[in-house]
Amino acid sequence: MTDAFDAIVIGGDANGLAAAATLARAGRRVLVLERSDRVGGDTRALAFAPGFRAAPLALDAAWLPPRMLRDLKLDAPALAPYECPIAVASPGESLVLPADPSRAADTIRRYSTSDAAKWPEFAATLERIAGFLAPLYQRPAPDIATTSSAELLGLAGLAWKLRRQGRRHVAEWLRTMPMSLQELLDDWFESPVLKAAVAAGGVRDIRQGPRSGGTAFVLLHHLVGAPGGSVRGRGYWRAGPDAIPATLDLAARARGVVVRTDADVARILVSDYAVTGVALAGGEEISARLVLSSADPARTIRLVDPAWLDPEFVHAIRQIKFRGATAFVLYALDELPGVPPLPDATRALTGVVSLTPTVEGLERAYDAAKYGRMSERPHVEITAPTLRWPDHAPHGKHVLVARAACAPYRLEDGGWDAAHREALADRVTDVIACVAPGFADHVMHRAVLAPPDLEERYGLTEGAVSHGELTLDQILFMRPVPGWGHYSMPLEGLYLCGAATHPGPGVGGGPGWLAARQALRGATR
Amino acid sequence: MPKRYDAVVIGGGHNGLVAAAYLARAGRSVLVLEQRPLVGGAAVTEEIFPGFKFSVFSYVVSLLRPEIIRDLDLPRHGLQVLPLESTVTPLDNGDYLASWADPDETRQELYRHSPRDADTLPVFGRLMHHMAMAVKPILAMVPPDPGSLAPSDLAGLLRLGRHFRNLGGERFRALYKLMTMSGGDYLDEWFECDPLKATKAASGIIGTFLGPRSPGSAYVLLHHYMGEIDGAFRAWGFQKGGTGAISDTIARAARAFGAEIRTNAPAERVLVKDGRVRGVVLGTGEEIAAPVVVSGLDPRRTLTQLVDERDLPTEVLEGVRRYKFRGSSGKVNLALAGLPEFTCLPGAGRHLRGAVSISPSLAYLEQAYDDAKYGEFSHRPYMDIVIPSMIDPGMAPPGKHVMSIFVQYAPYHVNGGWTDQRREAFGDAVIGTLSRYAPNLPSLILHRQVLTPADIERITGLSEGNIFQGELALHQLFFLRPVPQWANYRTPIRGYWQCGSGTHPGGGIMGASGRLAALEILGRRRPSAVVSPDR
Repeated sequence: MTDAFDAIVIGGDANGLAAAATLARAGRRVLVLERSDRVGGDTRALAFAPGFRAAPLALDAAWLPPRMLRDLKLDAPALAPYECPIAVASPGESLVLPADPSRAADTIRRYSTSDAAKWPEFAATLERIAGFLAPLYQRPAPDIATTSSAELLGLAGLAWKLRRQGRRHVAEWLRTMPMSLQELLDDWFESPVLKAAVAAGGVRDIRQGPRSGGTAFVLLHHLVGAPGGSVRGRGYWRAGPDAIPATLDLAARARGVVVRTDADVARILVSDYAVTGVALAGGEEISARLVLSSADPARTIRLVDPAWLDPEFVHAIRQIKFRGATAFVLYALDELPGVPPLPDATRALTGVVSLTPTVEGLERAYDAAKYGRMSERPHVEITAPTLRWPDHAPHGKHVLVARAACAPYRLEDGGWDAAHREALADRVTDVIACVAPGFADHVMHRAVLAPPDLEERYGLTEGAVSHGELTLDQILFMRPVPGWGHYSMPLEGLYLCGAATHPGPGVGGGPGWLAARQALRGATR
Repeated sequence: MPKRYDAVVIGGGHNGLVAAAYLARAGRSVLVLEQRPLVGGAAVTEEIFPGFKFSVFSYVVSLLRPEIIRDLDLPRHGLQVLPLESTVTPLDNGDYLASWADPDETRQELYRHSPRDADTLPVFGRLMHHMAMAVKPILAMVPPDPGSLAPSDLAGLLRLGRHFRNLGGERFRALYKLMTMSGGDYLDEWFECDPLKATKAASGIIGTFLGPRSPGSAYVLLHHYMGEIDGAFRAWGFQKGGTGAISDTIARAARAFGAEIRTNAPAERVLVKDGRVRGVVLGTGEEIAAPVVVSGLDPRRTLTQLVDERDLPTEVLEGVRRYKFRGSSGKVNLALAGLPEFTCLPGAGRHLRGAVSISPSLAYLEQAYDDAKYGEFSHRPYMDIVIPSMIDPGMAPPGKHVMSIFVQYAPYHVNGGWTDQRREAFGDAVIGTLSRYAPNLPSLILHRQVLTPADIERITGLSEGNIFQGELALHQLFFLRPVPQWANYRTPIRGYWQCGSGTHPGGGIMGASGRLAALEILGRRRPSAVVSPDR
C-alpha cells in the first residue's frame, strides 16, 4: 500500500481537476484518478465515424466563477468565450438573436414592434436577476438551518447586496425564480417565435415543459456570468470543448498534482466511518485520508461498502431526480446543408438553432416523456461544431450535433434498443429536413446517444447531463440531497465535488473548487 | 348630504363579512355593499331548482380560522359543521380505495392495496401535521416586505427567519420540498399505491392551472391537513344549510356588532381625491362617504376597475396585470331522483355520506391537465363529488338528493370561448365520465346546472372564474400576493384596503384575509407574532 498522497480525487473532469488544484494550492499532495484514457469528463469528444468527432455535452461554454479564477490564478483572458447567436428556424420563418440587445431588437421588430421595444429591458432584467445568483454560486449554499453565525452573517451580507440594488428588485428576484417560462414570457412578449427562442434555453436537460414552475430558474441558471443580452448561455470556447479541463489540468499538474488516467476506482475504502483510501479495479490500493468524488452521488455511494452508510442518506440519494431526458444524434456530413429560412445559416449554425418555433411545441415535446414515451415530435436543436473547431471532421466535411428532447431514460415499452434509437434518429432527421431540404442526402453516418448511452459513455446516472435536475427542490442547500448541501458525506474524509453539488452543472470547476475548500476546512457537516 | 360611515366594505363575500364584523366589533360604523340579492360571494346556498338547495360554488369547509369562530362567536350565530367522514376513489378495475373517519380502518383498507403504504401512512400523516403546524403561524401573519427597511417589516422578517430556524433543519427542508415540488414527485417519495397518490395529489391541483407533475403543486396538499390540527371540527365538513349558511352566520355576527349590510347594491366606483379615499359611488349614482374603504373583490377589480388607474403607480398596475388568475375549474350541480349506485360499492352505504374522488391514477389527472393546457376542457376530468342531502336532508325534497361535482380542468380561456353548446358538452363529459363508475346516474338526473369558469366570473365577479381570486402558485403567495410591496392589505391609495382571497393567505373559506385586513385597519400589528410549533 502506497502512502504518498493526502487526498485522492475521483474523476478527471473540470470539477475533479479544480478540486485537485485547490487542494494542491493549499499544500496537499493530490492524486487524480480518471477512469478513461484522458481527462475532460463530459467535455471529451467522441469519435463516432472515421475522422469525425463530437463533444455533444460541451457545446456551451461553462461559467468560470471569477473568485475561482483568482483563487487558482487561472488566466481568464485565454478562456474568454466566443459569443454566438441563437436562432429559431421553422419552414418559412426564422429569428436570429445576436447577443447585442439593440441589434436583437432590430431582428425582433419584424415580428412585433412592441416586443422589440421591450427587448433591451428584458435582457437587462435577466442579466440583473442572474447576477444575483453569481455571489450565491461562489460560496457554499447558505442554509437557514445552519448554526454557524459566520454563515448567517454571510447571508445577511448577500441580502444587503441584493437590497442595495433597489427595493423592487428583491421581490422581482424572488417572484421570478419559481415561475414558469411561459408565465414569464407571457408577461413580456406577444411574438410566439421570440417566446420560443427564449424558452428553449430554460428547458435544457430537464424533464419539464415551459409551463412547469421553476423553469424560469433553469433559464437564469444558465445565464449566470453570461454576457449581457444573452438569453442562452455563454457562447463557446475557441480553444475547443475541453478548454476548461485542459487549463485546469495544466494548473493542477503545475502544482504537483499527479493525474493518472485509465485508473478505474472500484471501491472507496472505509474504516470506522472514516475514509482510508481507494482500491482500483486492478486491485491496487492507494491510501489517503481525504477522498473527493466528482462522480454523481448515486455512483459514488456504489463505491462504498453499504455497511458504512447511513440508510437515510442512501434513501435520500435514491430520491434524487436525475431524469435524463436529452438524446443526441451526431451526424457526419459531406457538406453543410442549406437552411433556407435562415439568412446566414453558416453563422447561425455556429451557435444553437432551435427547430421548435412555439412554446406550445416545446410543451408538447415534453408531454410524452411524462408517460415514459419518446416525443412524436421532439424538440430539436442543431449546431455544427465543425464551424468552430474544424479539426473535428476531415477537411471540408462537417459534423452536425442535434440535441433532442424529450427522450426519457426509462421507456414504458421496454428499454432503449436499436429500434428505439433508429426511430428517434429518424424523427430527428425528419425535423431537420423540414428546414434543410435534402439534409438526409448529405448524411454519411449518424450515431445516436440516448440517455443510457450517455450513462455508459460519460458515467452519468440515468444519462442526466445535469447530474440531477435543476428543479427548485434540488438546488442550493438542497443539492445534492437535503441536509448534505455542503459537500461532505456522512463518512469522515469523503466529499462530493461534482456537478451534483452546488452550484451545479454549467459552472466550470465551481463545485470542485468549493468542495475542496470545504474539505480543507475539515467541516464534516 | 351623502350618508357617512367609518368604513365601507365592498363585496359581501365571507372575507368582506369577516372584515366588517371585526371593524364593527371595534366600534366602527360599517356598511357592507353586496351586488347580489344575497351575501356570501362564492359561499352561497341557492335553491336553483324548486326544492333543491345547492352550495352553488364552494361546497366544503375546513379552513375557517378558529380564532374567527371564537372572536365572532359564530356557533351562537348558527355555525354548525357536519363532518364529511370519508373519501372513496373508484378504480377502473371495479375496486375502490377508501379513507374512512377511523384511521385504523383507513390503514386496513390501504393494506389491501399496499402493505408498505399502509405502514407509511401514519408517518406521512405525522409529517404533514408538523408541516401544517409550521405553516399555521404564517397564515396568521401580515407578510413583511423583504425589500423594505421599515422597522415593522424588518422585525417581521426577523421573526420569520427565527421561526424557520426554530423548525430545525430537517423540518425546514421538508417544508421547502413541499413548497417547491410537484405533488406527484412528493408523493412518489412516500407511496407506491397509484390511486392513493392521485387522490392526495388532487387536493394540490384544485384551483390552480397546474398538473400533478408540475412543480409547485405539492404545497396545497397541506391544506388538507390544516383543518385537522385546530381540533375545533373535523378536517372537512358541510355547514348545515350549505356554505351559504356560513356566510349568513358571519353576516349575523357582523349585524350583531352593528354593521349594516346592503344587498343589490353594486359599488360602481371608489372615490379618490388627492391620493386619499373619500367614499364609494353605487350603481344608482348614490354616494356614500367614508374615510376607509375595504374591497373584498379580487385584485384586478379592486385595483383596476373600482379606481381610476391614474391614481395608482405604474408598477402596481403592471403587477396586477401580471397577477395570474387562470380559472381552471368548473362545477356541476345535479338534482337527483334517487341515490347513485357505484359499481365498486353497491348500495346506499356510508361512502355516499363522504366524498367520492374521481382520481384513479396520477396519469389520469395528468392527462386531464394535458387537455386543458392546449385549451380544451378535460374529457376525462378530475372530480370531487359530495351528496350534501345525505348528511343534511333539508337540502332536497324527501327521497330526492342533490349532488355537487367539483370538476377540473375547465380552462377559462377555452378554445373558441365558452358557448352554451360547449358548456353542455362539458357537462356531458362530466356525466359521461361519472357514469362509468355509477352507471345509473344519468337516469336519476332531474335537473343539472353546469358552471364553467366564465359562469363563475359572470355570477360571482371572480375574475377568470378563479375560485381563489388568483392562483395559489409560489410566485403569488405571501409577500407577493397580490403584488410586491402591497401584500399588507394596503393599497397605494390611503384609506383604501384589500381584504379578499387575493391577499395573503387567500383561498378556501378561511376568512384569514378579512380578519388580518381588519386588524391592520384597526392598527393592531399583533398578527405578525409567530409562535413556534410544538409549544
